[in-house]
Amino acid sequence: MTDTRVPPPEPAVTEVPPTAGTVGPRGATARWLRRPRSRRELADRLFAVQSLFALLVVFVVAIAASPRRDGEILFLTAGNLGNIVRAVSEIGIIAIGMTFVILLGGIDLSVGAILGLSAVGTATLMVDSGLGILPAVAAVLAIGALFGALQGYAVARLGIQSFIVTLAGLQVARGIARIWSGGLGIPIAYGDGPQEAPPAFELLNGSINGVLPVPAVLFVLIGVAAVVVLRTTAFARHVYAIGGNEKAARLSGVPVTRVKVAVFAVAGILAAVAGVVHAGQLNQGSPNDGAGYELDAIAAVVIGGTSLAGGSGSMGGTLAGALLLGILNNILALNNIDANVQLLIKGLVIVLAAALQKLRRGIA
Amino acid sequence: MDKRTTLLALLVAGALAATGCSVEKASDDAGQARACGAGKDFLIGMSQANNAEPYRQVMNNDVQTAAKSVPGFRVVVSDAAQDNSKQVADVENFLTQKINLLIISPNEAKPLTAVVKKAYDQGVPVIVLDRKVEGEAYTAFIGGDNVAIGKAAGEFYATTLLPDGGKVIEIAGLPGSTPAAERAQGFRDGIAANPKIQIVASQPGDWLREKGQSVADALIKAHPDVSAIYAHNDPMAEGAYLAAKSAGMVQRIKFTGIDALPVPSGGIKAVEQGRLAATFQYATGGREAVELARKILVDCAEDVPRTTTLGTMRITRENAAEAYAKLGGL
Repeated sequence: MTDTRVPPPEPAVTEVPPTAGTVGPRGATARWLRRPRSRRELADRLFAVQSLFALLVVFVVAIAASPRRDGEILFLTAGNLGNIVRAVSEIGIIAIGMTFVILLGGIDLSVGAILGLSAVGTATLMVDSGLGILPAVAAVLAIGALFGALQGYAVARLGIQSFIVTLAGLQVARGIARIWSGGLGIPIAYGDGPQEAPPAFELLNGSINGVLPVPAVLFVLIGVAAVVVLRTTAFARHVYAIGGNEKAARLSGVPVTRVKVAVFAVAGILAAVAGVVHAGQLNQGSPNDGAGYELDAIAAVVIGGTSLAGGSGSMGGTLAGALLLGILNNILALNNIDANVQLLIKGLVIVLAAALQKLRRGIA
Repeated sequence: MDKRTTLLALLVAGALAATGCSVEKASDDAGQARACGAGKDFLIGMSQANNAEPYRQVMNNDVQTAAKSVPGFRVVVSDAAQDNSKQVADVENFLTQKINLLIISPNEAKPLTAVVKKAYDQGVPVIVLDRKVEGEAYTAFIGGDNVAIGKAAGEFYATTLLPDGGKVIEIAGLPGSTPAAERAQGFRDGIAANPKIQIVASQPGDWLREKGQSVADALIKAHPDVSAIYAHNDPMAEGAYLAAKSAGMVQRIKFTGIDALPVPSGGIKAVEQGRLAATFQYATGGREAVELARKILVDCAEDVPRTTTLGTMRITRENAAEAYAKLGGL
């Protein structure tokens, strides 16, 4: 669960050891078996497993802090562990897309609103338009992809900063969602009649063997796929290269515009997937849902060790970061910590993670 | 292992420990399998939709205050911060803790129906407050009657506030919301008794003080001969008061609101301090919910009332201080 980083653009001329310079996901294993050739490489290796280690520690602390009932550790019950992953699955799926965008050196504030729009779309297309599950979901994913691609295009070709583009995108998506739904949540009833969604869609609310919630499984599958993509594809190398030094990437023949459009489209698709999951879990498509989810997703990415400066980070870190947030939410709730104090603690954790990144740059 | 990582982990652990891993664990002897009865400990989960709304914060306070006077009751409160998904997770976490009873004020009906049914099917009694869930899978519902509150306000206008008639501006709640529609309808029923009262304008203020102010500002200029402003909640009435004050017309216009929260920034104090002529209580149901919980858990009552409709109370200058104390104001 690791990726290396492109050497940072600053200072302009750095002595880069030949191995650290290649963002070669290929041969990653071989690199792990060698002795590190530089302090930076050593630091990279340690930090690659940092988020995983932090996740492990938080997990152990959660077990220790868990309330017990009749000798049973409530935190460790199968139902609770399933709940943790289920509760964080939508944020996690969004965070996967967000990781690509942040690696690129950008940010995507529109994903929470796209989730709301997709939830409305899913409900409307199945209930009012009478579409089947596959056509409805395909249409919603297409909307997400198109929305993301348009934003990517504005970022790449018009040269507007992604923060501004996606801030505008957030408003537009929320507006479309409210217009489309008339401002109210669209309830999803199941059945074969008109105004009813296919009963199979209710699977999103269910679990496999009664312990593995479907949204959690979906999140893990998408996560594993994303880890593979980020470690093996040329596309991923391009993303790292642009995030590390866009000018250098352009000069060395990376199709910058195409990659940017693709990355924002991926973020849009994944936000739409989260929206479909959201509608399935709540039996409703509400235009106002997903508010603030983009910030939770960014938090997961940052806790996972990905730098907001772009060019450095990993997908495994993001998955660990999302799960860490999920465990934190759960154990605080199980101990009935006051809701306001919970906010304090979560904020503290995010700052700590960011501080660690700062230290990392100090070593390298 | 890297020192800094360990540091992060330790700090997280420390934060957890410092803030409450030392709190008393959910009482070990609680459990759904246990029967009801006196002299036992009960854990009650209160799932709140959004603590950021003062009305809901007061509801939490009412539940917790009432529970303190029942021996053996321990209430834990969660805040969904207006997020349906989070409220589902909150209830799931309560079920993990094996609560003995659930009190829930749903953010929205449909998304919370499934998880409330899950709790109910597991044998956990469920008391729903203020907003309903769909279907029949709950023990009891407690809520106010906004039509009756609007009617009480209308009757007060017809008989006491404007007995000789006059022009009224209405500042309504969020368009499309049920309480706004009901408070508008009830008011019209109430003033029907006095044909000399006419509503000359009605505009939405979205429940917000600042929007109430800007809407009232425009409407007062359009209708300078207005006698009173009926706002669907206290903050909008306060906003209208501010607008009239800056227009120099505050002496000629009377203002009324709805909600009457017993908090320093609420409507009761505004009446006591003379800004509003009256406000009408929209009860939180918190106390009633705990009383119902006591009947279910301590008295082993088999059939509690399925639906409880809360009455309202008119608050004017005469009874404001008394009402503030009675409703548990601080």
